[in-house]
Amino acid sequence: MLRSVARRARHAGRRRLLSTAAEQTDSDVVIVGGGPAGLALASALARSKLVQSNLKITLVEAGDLHKVREWRQEPGTFSNRVSSITNSSKAFLEDIGAWNDVEQSRTCPIEEMQVWDGISDARITFAASEMPLRSVSELSRLTENLNLQRGLLRHLSRHPEVLLLDKVKVQSIVREEREENAWPVVHLSDGRAIRTRLLVGADGFNSPVRTYAGIQSYGWAYDTQGIVATLFHAPKSSLQGPNTVAYQRFLPTGPIAFLPLSETASTLVWSTKPHLAGALKTVDPRVLAGMVNAAFRLPDVSMRYLYDRILENPALSAEEFTQELAFRERSDTIDVRSAYSSLGAVNAAGIPADDADMVPPLVTDIQPGTVASFPLRFSHAEAYIGEGLGARTVLVGDAAHTIHPLAGQGLNLGLADAEALTKCIEDALLSGGDVGSYTSLLPYARGRYFENHKMLSACDKLHKLYSTTAGPVVWARTVGLEVLNELDTVKAALMMTAGSERARQPGQVGWELAAKGVETLAKNINGARDLASSVTGLVDAGLRQLLQRR
Amino acid sequence: MALRAPLRCLRHTPYLARPLSTAGTSHTADLHAQAQARSTINDSEIAHFSRLSALWWDEQGEFQMLHRMNPVRMRFVREKLAEMALEDDGDADVTPADVLRGKDVLDVGCGGGLLSESLARMGANTLGIDASPSNVSIASLHASADPALAASTQGRRRGALAYQHTSVEDLLAARGPASFDAVCSMEVLEHVDNPRAFLDSCAQLVKPGGHLFLSTIARTPLAYLVTIAAAEHVLRRVSRGTHTYAKFVDPAELVDFFRAYRPHGRPWIASAGAPARTEAETRGMVYVPWDGEWVLAPRGAAWAEGCNYLFWVRRPRE
Repeated sequence: MLRSVARRARHAGRRRLLSTAAEQTDSDVVIVGGGPAGLALASALARSKLVQSNLKITLVEAGDLHKVREWRQEPGTFSNRVSSITNSSKAFLEDIGAWNDVEQSRTCPIEEMQVWDGISDARITFAASEMPLRSVSELSRLTENLNLQRGLLRHLSRHPEVLLLDKVKVQSIVREEREENAWPVVHLSDGRAIRTRLLVGADGFNSPVRTYAGIQSYGWAYDTQGIVATLFHAPKSSLQGPNTVAYQRFLPTGPIAFLPLSETASTLVWSTKPHLAGALKTVDPRVLAGMVNAAFRLPDVSMRYLYDRILENPALSAEEFTQELAFRERSDTIDVRSAYSSLGAVNAAGIPADDADMVPPLVTDIQPGTVASFPLRFSHAEAYIGEGLGARTVLVGDAAHTIHPLAGQGLNLGLADAEALTKCIEDALLSGGDVGSYTSLLPYARGRYFENHKMLSACDKLHKLYSTTAGPVVWARTVGLEVLNELDTVKAALMMTAGSERARQPGQVGWELAAKGVETLAKNINGARDLASSVTGLVDAGLRQLLQRR
Repeated sequence: MALRAPLRCLRHTPYLARPLSTAGTSHTADLHAQAQARSTINDSEIAHFSRLSALWWDEQGEFQMLHRMNPVRMRFVREKLAEMALEDDGDADVTPADVLRGKDVLDVGCGGGLLSESLARMGANTLGIDASPSNVSIASLHASADPALAASTQGRRRGALAYQHTSVEDLLAARGPASFDAVCSMEVLEHVDNPRAFLDSCAQLVKPGGHLFLSTIARTPLAYLVTIAAAEHVLRRVSRGTHTYAKFVDPAELVDFFRAYRPHGRPWIASAGAPARTEAETRGMVYVPWDGEWVLAPRGAAWAEGCNYLFWVRRPRE
C-alpha cells in the first residue's frame, strides 16, 4: 500500500514536471470575466496587503479592456447600460479605494423614489430626507456601468501585481491529472495554460467556470424583455428641485423605470412583453419618447390602445401618434395643464403643475443609438463552491445569479459577492488556509447564498404580483402599499438599517421593505385561496360520502 | 449495548495518571527512562488511521470536522504567539499574519497534514511527523501539488514543509532536545499509549521560551455523548472506534502535569491556583451545528472545556 502510494507520488511529480515544460504557469487565483463583479473582486484583492503578500492574482477577459479603460463619452450623453449603486456598494468601493476613480460628474444621486401601481395608482415614496440619520443623504447613486468599470480598471492600473489578460478567451478548463489534490488548469486561446489554486467564475450567465464546476443552475426566462435607452428632457424648473427622483410604475406588462443621470438626461429601463418590446424598438424614436411619457401617465386601457396602434403600424409617424395620444387623453379626461398630460406642458415654462412631482419630466428626445433590449431571466446556481471533480471553484455575480432588473440590484449583488469573497480569502490566509479549499470558501457561500436568494425571490414575486390585473390581487397590493406608505417610522427605520449598517445588510433602501410588504400580501392571498379550495374540497368529499351511503 | 462499555469507563482512573500514579513526587529521570523504555505508539490506533488515510483530504467526508476545526486551531496558535511576542517585547511590531514566519515548528501526529500545511503557509519551517506511513505518504502527496509548500520556492516568504515517518521519541533521539520554537500536537493525545511519556517527549523538543500547543478531548459524560455516541454511533460522521473514552484527558490533568513537570528545576506552571496567562491556557472549542463551524470559546469559559479544547503551555526561559 505504502509503496503504491509512494509510486503514485513519484508519478504525479514527474507528470507535473512534464506539464510545466509546456506553456503552463501557476496563479493562485484566476478570475474569469472582466465585468463589474470580476473587476471589483480583482480590485479588492489588489488592495489587501495580506492577499498581495501571499497570492498571485490573474484576471482573464475575452473583450478588450483597453477600450474600457479609454472609454470616452460626449458630455451630456450617456451609455445605455446604467446601474444604481447602493450606499453599501458605494462604501465597499470607497473602502477599496476605487470610488474616487469613478468619474463623479457622471454619477447622479437618487434622493427620492416614487413607485406606483399601474392599475390602481397606489403609490409609495422613499426619500433620503425621511431618514433620521443625517449622514445618509441619498438612497443610491446612478452611474453607467462603463464608468464604474473604467474606474475599477484605473484603480487596478495602480496595482500592477494583478495580472490582467484581455482579448484572450478561455478555451477549456480541465482538471490536472493527479491522484490527490488536482487543481484546475485554464487553457487560453493564445496557447497559454494557467494552473490555479482557486478559479473564480465571474463569467456571466453562461458561465464556463460553472459548467466546469458541475454546478447546476435553476431558473427560468421571464416572458419579458427589458428595453433600455437614454432619454433627454428639459431641466426641472427651479421650483421643483433637482432631477434626483427615480420613478417606477408597475404596468401589467412589466415595470417601467425612469432613472436620472443629469439635469437633462435620464435612463429608461422598461420591462415588457417581447412582442411589444420588438415594436417599441423599431418605432420612430419620437414615438418611443411619446410611449414612455404615456406609460408613466395614462391608465392601462389607454396603454393597451396605444400598444395596438404601434403593433398595427410600426411605421406610425410622430404626428399620427400625437393625434392618437390626444384622443386617449381626451377620453381619459386628462386636463392639458396637468402633469399627466404629455401634450400641453411640453417646454412650458413658468409655474409647474400641482402634480408635477408625481410623474417624471416629459421626455423630448432619445439619444440616438441607445435603444437596446435584453431578455430577462431568473436564475440561481445550486451552490457557489465546486466540489469533488469541480473543486477549487467559486462563483460570483451573474455566474451565480441573475435577477429581474426591477429593483436594480443585479450589479449590487455582484459587488457584495466580491466584498464577501475578499473577506473570506483574507480570513483563510490569516489561518494559513488553502484559499481554494471548500472549507476556506464555505463562509463566503454561507454569507451570500441566502442573502442573494432573498433578493432574487423578492424581485421575482414583485414581478409576478404586479403582472396581474385580477381585482382582488390589485386591491390587496394597493392597500398593502398604501398602508406601508403611511408607516413613516417603519419606513425610516428600515431605510436607515439599509443605508448605514452595511455590514449586516447590503443596502437595498426601500426595495427590500416594499418587497417584504408585498411578499406578505402575496402569501396571504395564496393562503386565502388555499383555504378556499380546501373548504370546497371538504364539502365536496362530505357530499360524496353522503351520496355513497345512500 | 454499545453504550454500556464506555459508561463503565466513566469511572476509570485518569489515563494520564495511570502509568505514574504518583505524578507529583516522581523523578524526571524516571520519566525519561520510561519514555525510552516504552513507545507511546498504539498499534491498533495506527492501523485505524492508516485505513482511513485516503480520506484525509475529502473535506466533506470522514475528516470534515477536523477540516472545519483547523482555522480555529490556527487562530489560537496565532493569537497566543502574537500575545507572547508582545509580552516579551512591548514595543515589538507584531503582525498576526507574520507571527509564525521563520519559526521552526513541529507537528506531532500530522495525519494528512491539515495543520502542517497551514503552519507552512503562515511561514513556519514545518516538520510534520506521523507514526502511520500511509498518513505521511498522503500528506506528502497532497502537499506536492501546492507550489506554495514546496521547499524550493526561494524568494517567497513562505516556510518549508517536510514530512517524516517517525515517532516523537525517535525524533527526540535523532534531533536532540530543544529543537523547535513550537511543538503542536492536535487531536493526538487521546490516541497515544502512555500519554505522560508522550507529553514529556513533546515538551523536551521545545526550545526554552518556546511553546507547546495541544488539543484533545476532556473526559466528561458530555464528551462521550458528543464525540462517541453522537459522532460515531448515531450520526456516523466519524468512523467507529476513532475515539476511546478512557483515553480522553481533562484540562486540569494537563495543567497538573505541567505543574509537576520540572526537568530543569523550574516547573512549567509555577503559579498556584489557575495558571498565569503567560504560563499556560486552556480554551474550549465548540461546534455549532447549524453554522457548521467551530468557535473558539472566550478565555476562562470553563463550560466550553467539557469536550474539545485547546491547551497551550510555554517552556520557561533559562
